[in-house]
Amino acid sequence: MMRVELQADLDALEAGFQETGEIVVRAIRGVTDALRTQDVELCDEVIAFDDEVDQRYLALEKQVELTLARQTPVATDLRLVLAILHNALHLERMGDQCVTIAKLTKLSSHLGTQSAVVEGLADMGERCDEMVKVALNAFATRDVEQARTLHQLDELVDNANRQVFHEVLGYADNPDALEWGMRQITAARCFERIGDNAVDIGEQTAFLVTGELTEFTDASHDPRPLR
Amino acid sequence: METQPHIDSSRIAEVAQGIDRSEIEGREKVFSVRELAVSYNGKVALEDVALDVHRNTVTAFIGPSGCGKSTFIRCFNRMNDLIPGAKVHGSVLYHGEDLYGRNVDPVEIRRRIGMVFQKPNPFPKSIYDNIAFGPRVLGMKGSMDDRVEGALRHAALWDEVKGRLKDNALGLSGGQQQRLCIARALAVEPDVILMDEPASALDPISTTRIEDLMHELKKDYTIVIVTHNMQQAARVADMTAFFSVLVDDEGAARKGILVEYDATTKIFTTPSDKRTEDYVTGRFG
Repeated sequence: MMRVELQADLDALEAGFQETGEIVVRAIRGVTDALRTQDVELCDEVIAFDDEVDQRYLALEKQVELTLARQTPVATDLRLVLAILHNALHLERMGDQCVTIAKLTKLSSHLGTQSAVVEGLADMGERCDEMVKVALNAFATRDVEQARTLHQLDELVDNANRQVFHEVLGYADNPDALEWGMRQITAARCFERIGDNAVDIGEQTAFLVTGELTEFTDASHDPRPLR
Repeated sequence: METQPHIDSSRIAEVAQGIDRSEIEGREKVFSVRELAVSYNGKVALEDVALDVHRNTVTAFIGPSGCGKSTFIRCFNRMNDLIPGAKVHGSVLYHGEDLYGRNVDPVEIRRRIGMVFQKPNPFPKSIYDNIAFGPRVLGMKGSMDDRVEGALRHAALWDEVKGRLKDNALGLSGGQQQRLCIARALAVEPDVILMDEPASALDPISTTRIEDLMHELKKDYTIVIVTHNMQQAARVADMTAFFSVLVDDEGAARKGILVEYDATTKIFTTPSDKRTEDYVTGRFG
C-alpha cells in the first residue's frame, strides 16, 4: 500500500463522518424522548447539543478542503471525499431539524397535548433514528443494497407524516388543540426532512461505489398524490 | 463600471459532463493501431496494443517505468527505425495508410509527425536559425521571416524573443528552449506533434505554459503526449491510455501492455480496470 498520508487522511475523514453521524443519532433520540415526555429541559439540552454537531461539521469541511488541496485524490478516493462533504452537510441539516423540533415542543407544551399526534411524532422520530443508522452503516460497509432500503424506510416516515396531518385536521373545532397541532405539523415536517436526508446519504453511498449520481426517488416526477 | 463576468455555458456543460468519448471518437482517425508489438533484439517490449488517435485531440499515454509508453509513441513517427535491433509488428495506419509500408519515406513522416523530447534540444545556433533550419532543408517556399514569426507566435514564444532573434538559442531558459523546440516542430507545418515527457525537466510555471500551449495547439494539430505526471494527463488530455508492465511467472521477462484507453474524465473518475484505479490513485506497486 502506497500513499500512506492520503490513506490516513481518508481514514480520518471517514471516522469523523461516522462520529458526527452517531452524535446526530443521539440528537434525534434526545428530541424524540423530549417530545414523547414533553420534557422542556431535555429540549434545551438538545438545542445546546447542536453546537457539537456544528463543530464537527466545520471540522469535516476543513479536513476535506485540506485533503483536496494537499493530496489531489482521484477516482474512488475523490468520490469518498466528495461523498463525505455532501453527507456532512446532510448531518448538519438533521441536527438543525432536531433543534427546530425541540423549539416547537417548548413553544407548544403549555397548550396541552393530544396523545395520538405525540405517538405519531415519536414513531417518526424512532424511524428516523433507525434510518440514519442504516445510512451510516451502508456507507461504512459500501453496501448499496442496504442503502437502497432507505427509500422504503422513508415511505414509512412519509406515511406517519400524513397521519399526523390528518389527525390535526380533526382539531378544527378546538382552538388550543389546533394551535398545538399546527406546531406539531411543522415538527412532523422536520422529521420528514431528516428521513429525506438519510436517503440522500444512501444516494452518496451508491455514488461512492458505482460512480453514478442517481436519486433513489424523484420528487418532481412522483406518481403518488401529495396527500 | 463593473461588467458582468462572461459565462460560457457550453464550457460549463462540458465540465459537467466531461468530454464525451463518443464525440471524440466521431472525429477523424489520425492513427489507427492494431495488434502492435515492439521488440528489441527479439525481446518483447510492448505487445498487443490497439487504439485510435483522433484529430484535434490531446491523447496521453501514462503508466509506470518500463510499460512501453515511450516505445509506443516512437512508433508513430518511426523513431524506432533508428534503434538497432528494434522491430515493429502489427499495423499503424496514418490517415488510413500503412505507416510502415514500403513506399513510405520516414523523413516525410517525421516532417508531418513532429516530435518534442523530454530535454529541450535546440541547435547551438541563433533562435531564428533554429526555426528556419527545417524549412530550409525541406526547401519550403514563402517568406522565411513570416514562417519564423508564425511558428514562434504559435508556440507562445514570440513576445519573449522578438527583439533577439539573432541570439544563441542556448541562452534561453529551459522553458523557453522547450517552446522553441515546439516552434521548430511547427515550422515545417506538421499534422501531428508527439511529445515525450515535454515538461518533466521544467519548473512549474514553464510547465503551465506548455500545458496551456497544448490546449491552444490542439485546435490546429493532433497531439500525443507521454507523461509521468498523472495530473498533467488529467489537465491536458482528452483521451488517456494507461499502460502497465506484465511480469512473467519467474518475475524475469517484463513487457508493456495497454490496460485501458478511454476519455480522460473516465480514467480519472471511474476507470473500468482495477489496475488503472490502483495506478491513478497511487496504490500501484
